[in-house]
Amino acid sequence: MPDASVGAIAFVTLLTIMVGARGIRVARTPDDFLVAARQVPPALNAAAISGEYLSAASFLGIAGLVVAQGLGALWYSVGYTAGYLVLLLLVAAPLRRFGAYTIPDFAAGRLRSPRLGRTATVLVLVIGLFYLLPQMKGAGITLQWVLGTPYWVGVATLGVVVSCNIAMGGMKGITFVQCFQYWLKLCAIGIPALVLLFAAGHDPWRNLAPDQAPVFTSATTVSLPQATDFTLTRPAQVTVTGLLGQRQYRDLRVRLCACRYQAGPGTTIGFGKGAPVPVSLAMAPASTQPWDSPFLTAGTNGSHPVAATYGVIIATFFGAIGLPHILVRFYTNPDGEAARRTTLIVVALLSTFYLFPAVLAVLARLHAPQLYLSSDSDDIVLALPSVLLPGLPGELLAALVAAGAFAAFLSTSSGLLVSVAGALSHDFMNGGVTSFRWCAIAAGVVATTAALVIERFSLALLVGWAFAIAASSFCPLMVLGIWWHRLTKVGAAAGIVVGGGSCLAAIVSTMLGAASTGWGAVLLGQPALWTVPLAFTVMIVISLLTQRTLPGNVGRVMLRMHLPEALSRQAYRTPLGLK
Amino acid sequence: MTQARPTRQRVVWRHDQVLVQPDVPGLGDLRDDTKHGRLLGRSFLRAQLGLSLMCLTLALVVTASFPVIAALAPAVARATVAGLPLTLIVLGFAFYPVLLGIGWFYNRQARQLEARFTELVDPPAAKGQPPDA
Repeated sequence: MPDASVGAIAFVTLLTIMVGARGIRVARTPDDFLVAARQVPPALNAAAISGEYLSAASFLGIAGLVVAQGLGALWYSVGYTAGYLVLLLLVAAPLRRFGAYTIPDFAAGRLRSPRLGRTATVLVLVIGLFYLLPQMKGAGITLQWVLGTPYWVGVATLGVVVSCNIAMGGMKGITFVQCFQYWLKLCAIGIPALVLLFAAGHDPWRNLAPDQAPVFTSATTVSLPQATDFTLTRPAQVTVTGLLGQRQYRDLRVRLCACRYQAGPGTTIGFGKGAPVPVSLAMAPASTQPWDSPFLTAGTNGSHPVAATYGVIIATFFGAIGLPHILVRFYTNPDGEAARRTTLIVVALLSTFYLFPAVLAVLARLHAPQLYLSSDSDDIVLALPSVLLPGLPGELLAALVAAGAFAAFLSTSSGLLVSVAGALSHDFMNGGVTSFRWCAIAAGVVATTAALVIERFSLALLVGWAFAIAASSFCPLMVLGIWWHRLTKVGAAAGIVVGGGSCLAAIVSTMLGAASTGWGAVLLGQPALWTVPLAFTVMIVISLLTQRTLPGNVGRVMLRMHLPEALSRQAYRTPLGLK
Repeated sequence: MTQARPTRQRVVWRHDQVLVQPDVPGLGDLRDDTKHGRLLGRSFLRAQLGLSLMCLTLALVVTASFPVIAALAPAVARATVAGLPLTLIVLGFAFYPVLLGIGWFYNRQARQLEARFTELVDPPAAKGQPPDA
């Protein structure tokens, strides 16, 4: 059965390597490697940015989370798109005009402090690593789903492919790869969504009705490949074969009560039409909020839903500005105006893509309620096609989805590795092509190793955390650095250390299980709620206290970030930034 | 030849009306960082920031107000449109055109702002061609 999927994944991977390898012949200087020689037209660049941005979380995570936790999880897709609008409004053109390559370069150049640049580099590594982990997890579970290989095989495969590809090609190759991968991802989620939408046929939106747990809309036999714990909300008559609640059945009609059951591996349970849908441990909603409520409580165990939702909104709206692998792409625009056009196209491309996870999630809820017995919410998108469309068409769609998912992991982790390796080699080594290559391989090894321990966290949650760290460190740095001439290097350093540090501490303590209920769970599980305002406040207050360290020519540096290029060229002879 | 003779015009000299044309603040002031240059630059920056903040506020008011509304008026969150939950329509589809529209509006305004500023500090006349040549 998995032949088509295996073929599709292998095809995507090979194609990525080949398109990337073409770049080797073009890439000659460190400039080429890092920012593709700055000559990428807006439409191509926008597709590349979107290709890089749409990660495992967007492809698998959001739809799975919506099915398990409810429609509130769609705030992730809204937030990931709105993040680009905020980026357009606040930083796109000025940042391009400043003309540095990376966030650390920007920090060092704008505030004339190489030490600040190195502080920023450390944070680039932290955010990059946090964002790489979910991509690796995605690869692990996808290969697990398709081939039945252990989790680590997928993780290691992705690590090897991406590190080697980047070490060989750099970013010139990556621009084409990323662009191609946006369209691949759009097709891989859009075509299955539309086909399944028509194949599923019209059904009164029964399982979407508020105040109702999902029910089976037709008689369904569910077979559980592995041991599963599940809960029933109402009693139900079922037919069981296999091990259920410590008893062996053989095609027997049983009445199950509204309580928790343990099913052994290989057990099949037949449900009648209208029977309540059992929910596995992994798919159990975090709160008692109805499925259609607009609140997002995953990761905070259902406490204070409104506050938790705003935590996600703040993190995603303001996190995109601070993502290291995304900003590096802005320097590939020829000028500030092109940067703005590119960003608007990105918002359009992302909006298009994010229509489909919602469609898939609703289809799963409506027509494939047996997916509530999945062992991981991130599997839903992979499993859906073969459930809704048995036979060859379903298999082909599943192959397309698997290929798209793999494209998502490949492109996002490539972009991340480029920026992580670039930051490492530029700021801590000699910055040459050779050191860039070694840094790419080293970073790949570290991320692969770390990914082996985070299997139990949802993809959307992990990516949301990376956004939270970016929003509470680099976002204030970029926004204040671009718009506020009184920002000092001491203030900037204090802000990113306090904001980023406290956010990281909160996330790590959540991962270790520090607080699971009440305000503790919300403030630690969605730290952006307080770390983003904290970072802004610290940066502003400390800057105001250290005004004496402000260099004299700040006004001119600031103005030149905002002047159109033609004007800037006529008014000033020297180029801006470090270059 | 009955052409009317031009009437006599009275000219009053007032020294605050004198225009010293070549000294319009412009590129030179930006380059030399004069008082005028700084003032010009700062007002341009402020206009840009105002535009960005206005669009940002608009985007935040439209999108981020939804959870508050849903918390204050649960009936809104539970409403259905043609059988589909309102939450799905709003979060799944409706926000995207709004975000795009704000972005498009911002790009247009920002471009115009830059064009106007360019014309102000670097008018075509200053480049050696008379305006109506």
